[in-house]
Amino acid sequence: MLGAKADYRLPTDCARRIVAEVQGALDSCAERQRQLERSLRVSRRLLQVWEPARTLAPEPETKEEAPTPACTPSAQDLRELELLTQALEKAVRVRKGPSKAGQRDRTPSLTSASNAAASGATTPTHSQPSSQAGSRASGARSTKGVQRATIPAKDHPKGRPLSRGDRTHMGTEFQATRSGPGLLDQQMAPSAVPRPTEPFTLKEKGTLLQLPATFRKAASQNSRLWAQLSAVQASDSTDATRAAKTQFLQKLQLAVSLLARKNRGFVALNLAGWEGATVAWQWYLSQPTSATEVSLTSLQSGCSSRRPSAAEVEAHAQSLRKACALLRLRMQKALSAAPTDWMQEYRCLLMLEGLQAIVGQCLHRIQALQTAVTGGPPGPCPVEKPTQASSPCGGKMDSSWSPELLLYSSTEELQTLATLKLRVAMLDQQIHLEKVLMAELLPLINTQEPGGPPWLALCRAAYSLLCEGGEHFLTVLQDDPAD
Amino acid sequence: MGRRRHRVEGAARALPEAIAALSRSLPAGPSPEIFRRAKFDRPEAAPVLWQLLLRVLSPLGIANDTLTDLAPGKPCPLRKPCPRTLVSTPQSPQLGRPRSAQLEAQARVVKSALDSQGYPRSALVQFPEGSSQRSRELLLALSWLLARGPFLEQLLAQTRVQLGDQLPQCEYEALAIPGPLGPHVETESPMDLRLVEWLMGKLRFRWRRLISSQQEQCTLLSKIHLYTRGCHSQKNLDHLSVAETEMLRDPESSQQLLQALESENVRLGAALEWRQCELVFWQWMDTVLDACLSESPAVTSQPTVLPMVSEHGCGELELVKQELQALQEELREVAEPRRAAWEAQVRGLGQGPEWSTTRRALQEAVRQELVALQGSWEPSSDPTQPQRPHRLVRRKDESPGPQGLQAAEMIRTLSTQEAGLKKALHQLQSQCQQELARLAGALPDLIWIMVPGH
Repeated sequence: MLGAKADYRLPTDCARRIVAEVQGALDSCAERQRQLERSLRVSRRLLQVWEPARTLAPEPETKEEAPTPACTPSAQDLRELELLTQALEKAVRVRKGPSKAGQRDRTPSLTSASNAAASGATTPTHSQPSSQAGSRASGARSTKGVQRATIPAKDHPKGRPLSRGDRTHMGTEFQATRSGPGLLDQQMAPSAVPRPTEPFTLKEKGTLLQLPATFRKAASQNSRLWAQLSAVQASDSTDATRAAKTQFLQKLQLAVSLLARKNRGFVALNLAGWEGATVAWQWYLSQPTSATEVSLTSLQSGCSSRRPSAAEVEAHAQSLRKACALLRLRMQKALSAAPTDWMQEYRCLLMLEGLQAIVGQCLHRIQALQTAVTGGPPGPCPVEKPTQASSPCGGKMDSSWSPELLLYSSTEELQTLATLKLRVAMLDQQIHLEKVLMAELLPLINTQEPGGPPWLALCRAAYSLLCEGGEHFLTVLQDDPAD
Repeated sequence: MGRRRHRVEGAARALPEAIAALSRSLPAGPSPEIFRRAKFDRPEAAPVLWQLLLRVLSPLGIANDTLTDLAPGKPCPLRKPCPRTLVSTPQSPQLGRPRSAQLEAQARVVKSALDSQGYPRSALVQFPEGSSQRSRELLLALSWLLARGPFLEQLLAQTRVQLGDQLPQCEYEALAIPGPLGPHVETESPMDLRLVEWLMGKLRFRWRRLISSQQEQCTLLSKIHLYTRGCHSQKNLDHLSVAETEMLRDPESSQQLLQALESENVRLGAALEWRQCELVFWQWMDTVLDACLSESPAVTSQPTVLPMVSEHGCGELELVKQELQALQEELREVAEPRRAAWEAQVRGLGQGPEWSTTRRALQEAVRQELVALQGSWEPSSDPTQPQRPHRLVRRKDESPGPQGLQAAEMIRTLSTQEAGLKKALHQLQSQCQQELARLAGALPDLIWIMVPGH
């Protein structure tokens, strides 16, 4: 009978390695989750009712609420109020001088678009300076609010209670002037928006939004500069600059290798090697050649005793791993195809032999890398993978900087796309962890004494982890021969 | 005479201007005076240059003051700039730490980063740590980084202001650095294997949660794009992104965004200027290098201790090598008999004039296929994994044209990739199963009951 409490304890160093790998995977997942949560917070907030920032005036009521009945301003008060309002508006207008042109042609569209269900007395001229006061991109609500506010001011003969109107109006201007200094000369003054009589939601009024002019200018300048930079860099600088840079690099390298070789008693320069190295260093200047061509050239020409960096070794290992997988897949495909005539058979044969040759090349590359890394005798040059060589922090560079667009047509499509991307990353990680566990656990099974409870526990756990992705367990029964 | 003097003066001004442009485009650019002092190896230039190198060699997000966990023995946080590295660096600033120790730590970080890039000069590494030394060497290191490739452009691309919405970026994070172990793991005593099972389950759960959160984010994004259609000034973009809408909602974020854009514009302009006039800088650097070489002939071969071309990297290579050797053996076993059989068959077939042309055509076709295959694992030619993030744009109509990448196409490529990876994983798993069966089969009186349906 198997002990119910059979367990297996991993040796410390083995455990440390495994846990480090898995913990790393967990941490990167957690980091992604954190970033995603941040974005989710922002997006959710955008889809809710937008709260206006920094409302200063007392809350203006909605249309339904009754105004204070005691207030019945006289006509003279109204006139004075009108004058005061105009003066304030003018002050704001002066302060907002340059924006006028931009705002004016915008506001009519906003005014018309806003669902001002109030009286038909639309006052475009009146609302225009007012909307300047509360001017900002989501001017819909400001226009609407102000519009409603100004209507009573004008239509007081209609018996509309004025206090609400003028209070709102005053509030508008008051806000505008007060927030003026806080505008920092920017044309976005979202804080000056009066309290909307209806809440702003993206769903209903999202199409009314407009980006502010300064932002548009900055963004277009930004994309223009990026395009210029990429054009300059693609065509690159003059030959003189290129030559100067190459010469500098060579000199730097030469100083090291000269002394290194001198110390080892070798003759200094191998000119052909410099050509190979130059080819590698000029990768970003010329048209991208295929990496294998460059590497083979470097192999043939020999090179200086430059040691490949860790990043390069990793990159090579990674791409060779990919290569191995792809080659194997191709081989299986070739083997599974049943050739019907001699032509197909010949083609299949050529394919297999070609694959063999490529594998040989890859092994040759690895050999060169390994000798270079261990600093062996100056043999073939460590293959300089051009596109990998000079990425300072893994950030790859591309020839054109203008952001490409990824077009999708429906929510489902976007979800599928994002999910697929994550699943690919997850599978990558799973394969890596599988290899790690294989390397650690399988040898342990060999070293452990077979048959005992710890060995059984180990086998069971290893089976579950390695063959079922940790999701299922198998049962082990001991067949008692006595029965 | 006057004209020549004017020309000479103009030439003399060109270098400081070029250096000024360079430093404007760098994130923490020092003044031209610092560069000049560094040429003469003055000590006051060294700290500034250390800071600059630290700044430009750190991956995104790790600034000077958060690099606190730099004690010896801990892994260098600059080696692999994946999110995991960011997490494993503690964020608490250590105020009580003596200043010189911190500078020393920073210097160590810079050196190991340079070394992992393959910097050939060992002068920096060999001499004792000290932030007030080797300013000329630092200048040489900086110039080396600039000369090798589009370093400036890459730096700018790292901190590029992203106005649009993107998909999650998933880079291959295969190689693990032995980071600091979590608090729940005992390092002294042997560890139960069930802990590993628990951790793997935790990982599975986290992925599931991540995928569902991502789906929610996609729904929200799609809604936002739908509600703001027609608002963007650029007609091909049509709707606003989250960043832009957020900017409209919240004045503070709009300020931040605008400031970020403007400062990036300044840096871009400076980079363009630098590209125009960098020749004079390289000519000057030549003189610096000459001065350096003439003064210190004692610079010897590469340092003996190499921190990061670890046995890990070599182990990886060795693994791949073994895999490839196994593959080569398999191919040989398959190809040789077929070749022999085919040769025998061909001898009996007879040879006609169209024989050789057909043969050549087939050879060419196979060669093309193999070249394409070879190209497919070179990361530079991989179109499905653009290193540059794409801006998501919602568009209803199927307007043809090279406007952008269509989602359907990307879905197709990713699906094939997923299928390939699944296949690879299953292959590994069945390999393990065979191995385990072999090992366990040694004991015949045990019955292994597999999972039903497997």
